[in-house]
Amino acid sequence: MKRSVGRRLIGAAAVGLLLAAVVAWAATDTIVLGSAISQTGKYAREGKFYVDAYTMTVDAVNKQGGVKVGGKTYKLELKLYDDQSDPNLSVRLFTQLVTSDKVNFLLGPYTSGITIPASSVAEKYQIPMVQGGGASEKIFDRGYKYIFGTLPRAEFYFLSATQAAVNLKPPIKTAALLYSNEAFDRSVAEGSRQLLKEYRIEKVYDEQYQPATQDFTSILAVIKSKNPDLILVAGHAENSLNFIRQSQAADVNPKMWVFTVGPPTADFRQALGKAAEHAYGVTPWLPDMDIGGEVFASAREFSKQFKARFGYEADYHVASGAADVLVYKFAIEKANSLEPTKVRDAIASLDVETLYGRVKFEPNGQIALGQVLIQIQQGKLVPVYVAGKFAAKPIYPMPKWSQRK
Amino acid sequence: MLILQVLINGILLGGLYGIMALGMSLIWGVMNIVNLAHGALIMLGAYITFWAFTLLGWDPFLSLPVTVALLFVYGYLLQRFVLNLIVRAQLFITLLITFGIEVVMINLARILWSSDLRQVTPAYAGSNFSVGGLTVPYVRLWVFVTTIVLSVLFLLLMERTRLGRAIRATSQELRAARLTGIPVARIYAVTFGLGAALAGAAGTLWGMLFPITPTMGGALTLKSFVVAVLGGLGTMMGPIVGGLVLGLAESFSSTYVGPTYPNAISFGLLVLILIFRPTGVLGRREGG
Repeated sequence: MKRSVGRRLIGAAAVGLLLAAVVAWAATDTIVLGSAISQTGKYAREGKFYVDAYTMTVDAVNKQGGVKVGGKTYKLELKLYDDQSDPNLSVRLFTQLVTSDKVNFLLGPYTSGITIPASSVAEKYQIPMVQGGGASEKIFDRGYKYIFGTLPRAEFYFLSATQAAVNLKPPIKTAALLYSNEAFDRSVAEGSRQLLKEYRIEKVYDEQYQPATQDFTSILAVIKSKNPDLILVAGHAENSLNFIRQSQAADVNPKMWVFTVGPPTADFRQALGKAAEHAYGVTPWLPDMDIGGEVFASAREFSKQFKARFGYEADYHVASGAADVLVYKFAIEKANSLEPTKVRDAIASLDVETLYGRVKFEPNGQIALGQVLIQIQQGKLVPVYVAGKFAAKPIYPMPKWSQRK
Repeated sequence: MLILQVLINGILLGGLYGIMALGMSLIWGVMNIVNLAHGALIMLGAYITFWAFTLLGWDPFLSLPVTVALLFVYGYLLQRFVLNLIVRAQLFITLLITFGIEVVMINLARILWSSDLRQVTPAYAGSNFSVGGLTVPYVRLWVFVTTIVLSVLFLLLMERTRLGRAIRATSQELRAARLTGIPVARIYAVTFGLGAALAGAAGTLWGMLFPITPTMGGALTLKSFVVAVLGGLGTMMGPIVGGLVLGLAESFSSTYVGPTYPNAISFGLLVLILIFRPTGVLGRREGG
């Protein structure tokens, strides 16, 4: 008897094991996301942000039940190569991912310079590529159908600022627009002109300057004579710094001023000291925002997990990369198919809330996302206008220089 | 009103350009070295001021003599032990070695101070006064006054002292100077020291108005070069006049032509001067 019980147990165990194996086999259905990203070379620093972001998001999706397609559950899997920061190698590796590794979908590399050629591979083989590392319009103005990007475009840099400006009390009526004559800042200015028109803010000054400009006194003399409520400045951190300091010396007092670059960086605020106070800046994402969705309930939660696992603070590159993986989860479930063309259409019509903000793409494939408007208040960055509403009370109008302590 | 404001802005900026170029013009005129490390010397002066301000809490105007003295010693040693090796070499070699010095200095600055933007911000940095609708920043005014004082001191040194006469003699006729017993090697070192000291002073003043970075020097070398040529080599007042011309040209072109034009106008001016008055605004005629 004893022996037969033993045998039965063994038999049951065997059946159990077999069942488990069958289940496991079923569960090993995977969706492979492939990418070549810089892990060595000059973009290694930012490349690591994306590798870590992809890894963490894939693990989180799998932990929370994977991706469901047609009643079946799939796990996500990553297939990553190192492009050594070389655009030519990147193209070769992406071709290899598509033709011989036969990955299901593509995630992007880092920087526009590499994304531009790499995205041509995706387009050629009609495999979607969702990327979070390239914002240049050159990626999106070629009429490609399979390339999607989650970094906001230059034209929208001042979207949140303009929206906030007209909703302040008293609302902003006039604006000055000053931008460096580099391609990116010219795009920012082009978009800003449209925005000012759309939100009926009168533009009283519109000039470009050379990025190497140190002395803004003459520019400031003219701006001062126009007395605008709002000043928008697109340029380098050094330009923003000079502009603010010389405004103080020239006693230029707008109600609000916003800079594309500078306010979010620590050395900028340190160099300016108290003069930086009340300046507005923009950033696509901040780690302590209360936005979130499925998989990651909030940006704050995401940042905490990220820091615990990788030992450094997540920035907007990381959040953008995480959003790319989530796009696939949501789009595949929406399409209920692994067919590249169907998933592509699902991505194009996607509209979801994530830790990174609302993910919804423009017809050209770039995300329709504004920047978060931040203000320096007592030396700290305070997100004041996030996703179409005020998140904190802005200090407005800015106190005049003569009234500041 | 705007035109007066622009005029004031141009003059105040021009003074700073003048003192920037004074040292370069001196070294160029006396030793026939176009010192490509001039901007790096200005950068060094700015960082010394930055350190004095942040670590010791010294006001930049107080630390100015210290910066000048340190840069003099640095310049003296640099000439004595490095540049002296090539003092008779062709122009190309001197360009190469001063360029090399610049590269070394920039990278040392990166290690010492990192590439972060730095700024010297005394409490009065942003203060100003208004006269009849015109705004004059105090710091720029004091920077201008300091420039004038330093230039006058420098002029007195060159015109009224034995040392100044020796420097001018060396510059004008090397062989005769040597025959009269002027220690030419030491005069060269002192000259380079003086040039570096003036660059250091310019650095202190620059750092009160603009951000300090390890790479700030390149553009300043170029600007000093333009100013030195505009004003005329071999004249003591030349760089000051050249600085004012450049400051006003930039200020007016930025206001009335557009903020992207100052460089085009400045270099256009340089070309015109080289065509019509090759020796500069105040320069002597060749062989005069």
